[in-house]
Amino acid sequence: MSLSSQSARPLACLKQALRQCRAERQQQQTRSYAAAAAEVQYPSLQTRYPLPAKSFRTSQATKQNRFETGMRKIPVAPQVPSTRKLCPDPVAAVTASQISALDATGARTRLFSQENPDRARVGDILLVRQKSGEPFSGVCINIRQGNSKIDSAILLRNNLTRVGVEMWYKIYSPNVEGIEVVQRKAKRARRARLYYMRQPRHDVGSVDNIVRQYLRQRAGGPMNNAKGRDARSNKKKNNKRGRN
Amino acid sequence: MIQLKSMLNVIDNSGAAVAECINVLKMKRAAKVGDRIIVVVQKQRNFGPESGPGGSVSVSAANKVRRGDIRHAVIVRTAKKYSRPDGSVVKFDDNACVLINKGGEPIGSRLNGIVAHELRGKKWSKILSLAPMHL
Repeated sequence: MSLSSQSARPLACLKQALRQCRAERQQQQTRSYAAAAAEVQYPSLQTRYPLPAKSFRTSQATKQNRFETGMRKIPVAPQVPSTRKLCPDPVAAVTASQISALDATGARTRLFSQENPDRARVGDILLVRQKSGEPFSGVCINIRQGNSKIDSAILLRNNLTRVGVEMWYKIYSPNVEGIEVVQRKAKRARRARLYYMRQPRHDVGSVDNIVRQYLRQRAGGPMNNAKGRDARSNKKKNNKRGRN
Repeated sequence: MIQLKSMLNVIDNSGAAVAECINVLKMKRAAKVGDRIIVVVQKQRNFGPESGPGGSVSVSAANKVRRGDIRHAVIVRTAKKYSRPDGSVVKFDDNACVLINKGGEPIGSRLNGIVAHELRGKKWSKILSLAPMHL
C-alpha cells in the first residue's frame, strides 16, 4: 500500500479492510454451524433406557409377570344386570299395574280415554256410585288427567237443597263403584273447564230430576206411567235399584 | 276458612239470617267444618207472610236471637274445599253455620240446607240429625 494513494483517497483502505472482514466472518459462521450439528449433545435430553417397542402394553406385561400359584382366590359377586335395561320406563309400568289392579275390566279407563269417541266429556251429567254412602250426581265441569293417569279425577257440580256443591272424585278410587253417564251435553263444550257454571247466570241448578228419570228408565220394566204415580212410588223403585 | 269478620249464612230457624265471625274458639287458625266459633248476628230473618199482620209480637216470639246478639255457632259448610280421607274433595258455594248455646245444643229446632258429613266425627251428631241432608 502506497502512502501516496492513501493520501490521495483516505477511505480506500478502510473499504478494503471492511470487505475482508466480512468475508472472514461469513466463513467462520458456516464452520461453526456444521460443528454444532455434529458434536453438541445435551445430557439432560438424553434417554437413560431405550424406548419401548411400539407394540408394548403395560397391562399385558403385568399379567405376564404375575405369579398366581399359591394365591387365595377372592370370591367376586357376578355383576348385577342393569335395572335401567331391564325396565326402561318404571313409572309407566307401575301405572299400568295399578290401573289393571284398580280397574280390572278397563271400563273406567275406556270411559275417559282420549281415543274413545264416546268418552265422557265436560258438560255431561255423570253419576258416581260409591261403596260407602249415597251416589252423587252432577254436571262434570272438569276432568283432571295429569301426568300420572292413576291420579285422574272428575269434578261434579250439583245443587242440593239449593246450595251449590262440588265434589272431586278420583276415577280409579276403590271407593268409587261405578261412573255412569246420565245425559250427554247436546253440544260439545268449547271449554276444557266449565268454571263459568259457578256463576248464577250460567248455573244449571239441580240435576236430580234428570238423574231420577234416567234411573227409572234404566230400571226398565213397567214404566211408571208418568204423572199418575206420586213421588213415593218412584222413591220405592229407586231404593230397590240401589240394592241391586 | 272462617276467620275474624267472615260472614256466614245461618241455616237454622233461630231467627238469624247472616252472622259475622268474631272469634274462632280453641285455635289460632282459620276454622273449618265442625269448628266452634263466636258470631254476631248481623241480619235477622223475617218470617214471611204468617208473621205479617201479627206484627212484632210473633216476630219476637219466632226469633230467638236478635240483631247484634253474640252467640256461639258451629260451621256446617265452607266454600273452601277440603279433602276427605278417601281422596274426594268437597266444596260448597257458601259458608254456613248453626247457632248453638254455650252447652252445645242448637238454638233452632230445624235446619234448612245441606250440611257436611264431617260433623259426625266432631260430636255434632245432633245437628246432623236435624239436617235435611248431609254430604
